[in-house]
Amino acid sequence: MTEQEENNPNIESTTETAIGLGKGLDVGTANLAAAVQNDEGGITVNVERNAFLDIPSDVYSKNMLTKLKVPYVVHDNNKLVVIGEAAFELANVFGRETRRPMADGLISPNEQDALPMMKMIIQKILGEPQVAGENCYFCVPAESLDVDNNVVYHQGLFESMISKLGYTAHAINEAHAVVFAELAENDFTGIGLSFGGGMANACIAYKSIPCLSFSVARGGDWVDKNVASVLGVPRSKATHIKERGIDIRDPKSREEEAVSIYYRSLINYVLSNIKARFESGQNMPSFNDPIDIACAGGTSMVGGFIEVFREEFAKIDFPLPVGRIFRSEEALSAVAKGCLVAAAIGEE
Amino acid sequence: MESVNKIKEALSQRSRTATLDELRGEGRKRVRLIRAEHVAQMISEAVHAAVEQSGLISQDEVDQLVAKSRDEFKGILKEREQEAQSARENDQKLQDTEAELADLRSRFDELSKALSTARLELEQSQGELETLREQAPTAEAASPSSDMMMTMMQEIANLKANLMDQQQAAPAQAPDFSDALAKLTGSLNDRLEKIGKKMGVSAAVEDGATVDFTGMFNDDADGKLESNMDNIKVKQKAAGGIAANLAKLKKLKGGG
Repeated sequence: MTEQEENNPNIESTTETAIGLGKGLDVGTANLAAAVQNDEGGITVNVERNAFLDIPSDVYSKNMLTKLKVPYVVHDNNKLVVIGEAAFELANVFGRETRRPMADGLISPNEQDALPMMKMIIQKILGEPQVAGENCYFCVPAESLDVDNNVVYHQGLFESMISKLGYTAHAINEAHAVVFAELAENDFTGIGLSFGGGMANACIAYKSIPCLSFSVARGGDWVDKNVASVLGVPRSKATHIKERGIDIRDPKSREEEAVSIYYRSLINYVLSNIKARFESGQNMPSFNDPIDIACAGGTSMVGGFIEVFREEFAKIDFPLPVGRIFRSEEALSAVAKGCLVAAAIGEE
Repeated sequence: MESVNKIKEALSQRSRTATLDELRGEGRKRVRLIRAEHVAQMISEAVHAAVEQSGLISQDEVDQLVAKSRDEFKGILKEREQEAQSARENDQKLQDTEAELADLRSRFDELSKALSTARLELEQSQGELETLREQAPTAEAASPSSDMMMTMMQEIANLKANLMDQQQAAPAQAPDFSDALAKLTGSLNDRLEKIGKKMGVSAAVEDGATVDFTGMFNDDADGKLESNMDNIKVKQKAAGGIAANLAKLKKLKGGG
């Protein structure tokens, strides 16, 4: 039992277990993921796609959606808003585009009315706090090198949303979370890269302390947008092509060829920006030994990603000595896991 | 079957319909009935017999000729139907594209006007700001009053808000125009922040500032949402534990 639990006689018996306190939340442009420690010594990650689809509301549709276990919310009494992965699948079936509450890593200014629905998803994946005011670390992107963005509104909004759910909310840089999740063996020293849907985040850390964090506003959505454009298909269809298990080193069709081309371009763009930022020399730490690079994020899950990353890396003259370059074994949940590490250490 | 249908049509065109009462009125008490299929068969037999008696071509050749003619007719008919369908689709696409083009032109004109107006207002604001700067030789001796600066900031903020609205309303098909608006908004943003910093009122937009948005998520608003979320299970994944990570972090914290 933790000190916090010992001091609080009102905590229900269900909280008096070996399960550690603290929760991690990855607020991603494409996916929302919440990580919590389980009683088997591992962690459980609840994942839901951050997308919606409006369909006309009627009793038949509601019953059918419930039977099919498709989550929905009734909006303005005449719209059924299908939520999450089901929205993505329905959009593919009907050749429509999903609504996306976030763009380029931040809350989309065009989808402010989707916030209550997003709150419902977050509530669903986070669950109730085990104790009042339990720590919840959520990720935020760093400022971008290539676009003007301001994370203050985004960060403040999610702090408020998570606090309203009964947690004590803390923000953590997305790529810093990757360092927490993947670079323990290196004493949390190295470069964490998070390839998300809206952007790619980078953080260079020394013994868990972030020295430099930044982002570039290109990610999986950029690949989807361009693939959709050249193939003349909806973006959700392009996402489906990308996620159906292709290998970008060995494209088997014209569609896969398009995905492969844009993936390579994305990786090259991210690496070039990282190199340029490191070479600028501002706030740059120096390392005696080579440091590792850990890649994570849903966009890095495509087959052949890390091999192409290594190929592109070899083409540039990187200004730091680099040892191992690897992709997280749990690329989609690594950011949530890193947030959980930060939350759990904060509870101790 | 096709010939039977044609014969039915022909019979229908060349015959009249009468009720039993009408027939009775004409003094007919009995009528003879014959099926269209039988008429077709009779005609076919008659034609075959006539061709056979003519001795010009054999029965097999007649059959082959009929079958070939029928196939050719079907093929030509299918081609014509496809051509007609394709022409209809092309016509529809052309109409849609023309309508889209007209709509885009109209929107572009509207937005061009809005941009011109915004540029004028911006230039005017910049001019006023420059005038104020020129009138103030040193910051200490003659800095503009706080009220004046706040008014200026308010004006620029309003202008920025208008631009943001216009930018959101801009269609995706006019990227060049959106870029121009984005640059203009960015320029205004920078100017607003610079003025804010001079006035010492920019803390609200500085990094690290705490902004309270809890009002956006009040329970009253959520209570109105009907949903089946409670009955739906979310996708769960198991992942490796964090004990080793926590142990390392604790060690680092302890300086070990």
